[in-house]
Amino acid sequence: MLVLALVVTAVGSALVVPAAIAGPRVPVSQPLVVLLRDHIARTRPDAHAGRIEAVASRRPLTRVRTVLPILARKVSGTGGSWLQVRLPGRPNGHRGWISANRTRLTVTGWRISVKLSSRRVTVYHDGQVRRQFRAVVGKPSTPTPRGAFFVEEALALPSYEAGGPYALATSARSNVFQEFDGGPGQIGIHGTDNLSGKLGTAVSHGCVRLGTHAITWLARRIGAGVPLVITP
Amino acid sequence: MSSPTHLKRGFAGMALAVALALAALPAFAQAAPVNLATAGPFVVLGGATATNTGASVLNGDLGVSPGTTLPGFEEAVVNGVEHVNDGVAAQAQLDLTTAYNVAAGTPVLPANDLSGTDLGNRVLTAGAYRYTSDAQLTNALILDAQGDPNAQFVFEITSALTTAPGSSVLLVNGASPCNVYWQVGSSATLDTTTAFQGNVMALESITVNNKASVLGRLFAREGQISLDENVLTRPLCPTGSGTTPTPTTTDTGGTGSGASANSKRRVKGNQTVPRVTRDGTAVVRPSPREACTAGFRATVRGHRIDRVVFSLDGQRIGSQANSPFAVYVKAAAGQHQVRARITFNDATRAKTMTFPYRACAAASLAPRNGPSQFTG
Repeated sequence: MLVLALVVTAVGSALVVPAAIAGPRVPVSQPLVVLLRDHIARTRPDAHAGRIEAVASRRPLTRVRTVLPILARKVSGTGGSWLQVRLPGRPNGHRGWISANRTRLTVTGWRISVKLSSRRVTVYHDGQVRRQFRAVVGKPSTPTPRGAFFVEEALALPSYEAGGPYALATSARSNVFQEFDGGPGQIGIHGTDNLSGKLGTAVSHGCVRLGTHAITWLARRIGAGVPLVITP
Repeated sequence: MSSPTHLKRGFAGMALAVALALAALPAFAQAAPVNLATAGPFVVLGGATATNTGASVLNGDLGVSPGTTLPGFEEAVVNGVEHVNDGVAAQAQLDLTTAYNVAAGTPVLPANDLSGTDLGNRVLTAGAYRYTSDAQLTNALILDAQGDPNAQFVFEITSALTTAPGSSVLLVNGASPCNVYWQVGSSATLDTTTAFQGNVMALESITVNNKASVLGRLFAREGQISLDENVLTRPLCPTGSGTTPTPTTTDTGGTGSGASANSKRRVKGNQTVPRVTRDGTAVVRPSPREACTAGFRATVRGHRIDRVVFSLDGQRIGSQANSPFAVYVKAAAGQHQVRARITFNDATRAKTMTFPYRACAAASLAPRNGPSQFTG
């Protein structure tokens, strides 16, 4: 019975993984920063350093506050507090320094990992595996980009849209499409509404597709700023 | 026939009568005192509601009555107490009505009717001024107290008060924002980056556009007050009519010294004992809105706070000696107790505030609707 209890049990597309056989160790939590106004990302923690880009205080699809993962903190020579953050968009995985003024610090215990070779999505909470889901990933000609990213915003999609009922808009961008369907080639983790493709295959244009149960479970838990790691 | 002596006496009597009549004129020149009474501690007091967008800072109490909502203030820093249609806010509204009526009824000299002119680019001395319709402020208005710290300025505006972007009210020669009253018959709009001073008492609503600042108070009797990334500071005014300079207070640096609250400066032997205050206030802005959440930010706001020590289930999780007095609370799933121990920098007795917190393994989110623009 004990052996049976430790066996991974499949629920639809979801694989419920007991913590006792969890995967590699991941950080328990990720510090985040909420932008209360538009910021300028700079190359160094200095108001006179080179400008990388402007970071809007709200995300474009749902207008929620922008939340970015904090990678480092530093106090400048003039006493100002600076945060090194992961930035959304191209080039994939780029980062920069923003002033800590007009921000709010928070933290998340959630983390998402996508393993392309096994076409699996693993969800961690407080450093422990909470769920694993089978997924559709990008096909060889339009692969899902690899690297460290984060969830920019979560959104509910209308029933007539492809990829519903929910989507997690990520900071990753397609390395093939500079523009797709009116968007910036943004990689989403979304559902399979109105889309073909069997879970566990590599047939998408780069997005990660999950079953309805899985994406619904995720959308009710994963908010802006949650780290996302995509590995081969 | 009157003798010359009688004539002299007659002239003297007439001169006395004229002098007495002139002595009565300052009722026009010097406006009657306006008393905010219990509305004084508020920096923002709305009628229907008060709303906020962005990182506003409110130095003073925040309230609404008879409305019951204060949306958007979770993004603001409120260094004061919040009163949502409670007895304090209701009484403040009543006192506001009295102050509004006193201001509206203050006599105005004919020369002080500024109707049809702009408030900007002029210097005004103490007194009451009137606009029979809208009032507009473009550029700077200077209010000159001419060395009188009790000088009162009352603006009676029948309709709307509007400022242009970047406008300002400047107080010189001892003028105090405590003694400047803007009685607005409809609504007031302070446009972007306006630097305003005084107490705005609007019958309807007040809109403060992006990055405008106010050294004074905003009162809406019936409508709403809308803020957008503003800094609002209630001036330190004496209680009462607001015509006496602010008394100085001395911090004891300790807590619970046992001195009588709000005792006046008193003489002990030949020594003057400094006044010891117990003006400290604190409120925990607290609990997660959801019945169950993975974590939340607990914030203590108030006056004269020296330090706040937070603990979770008896374990110390943070100590803050500077504002914002806040800590992020996160715990494993289940029921927990969060405690905030607050000490003050005057004689106010230290407080301990506790509240429950139920942490879930996963808080349930509800994503907003949005378009599908992904690579698919």
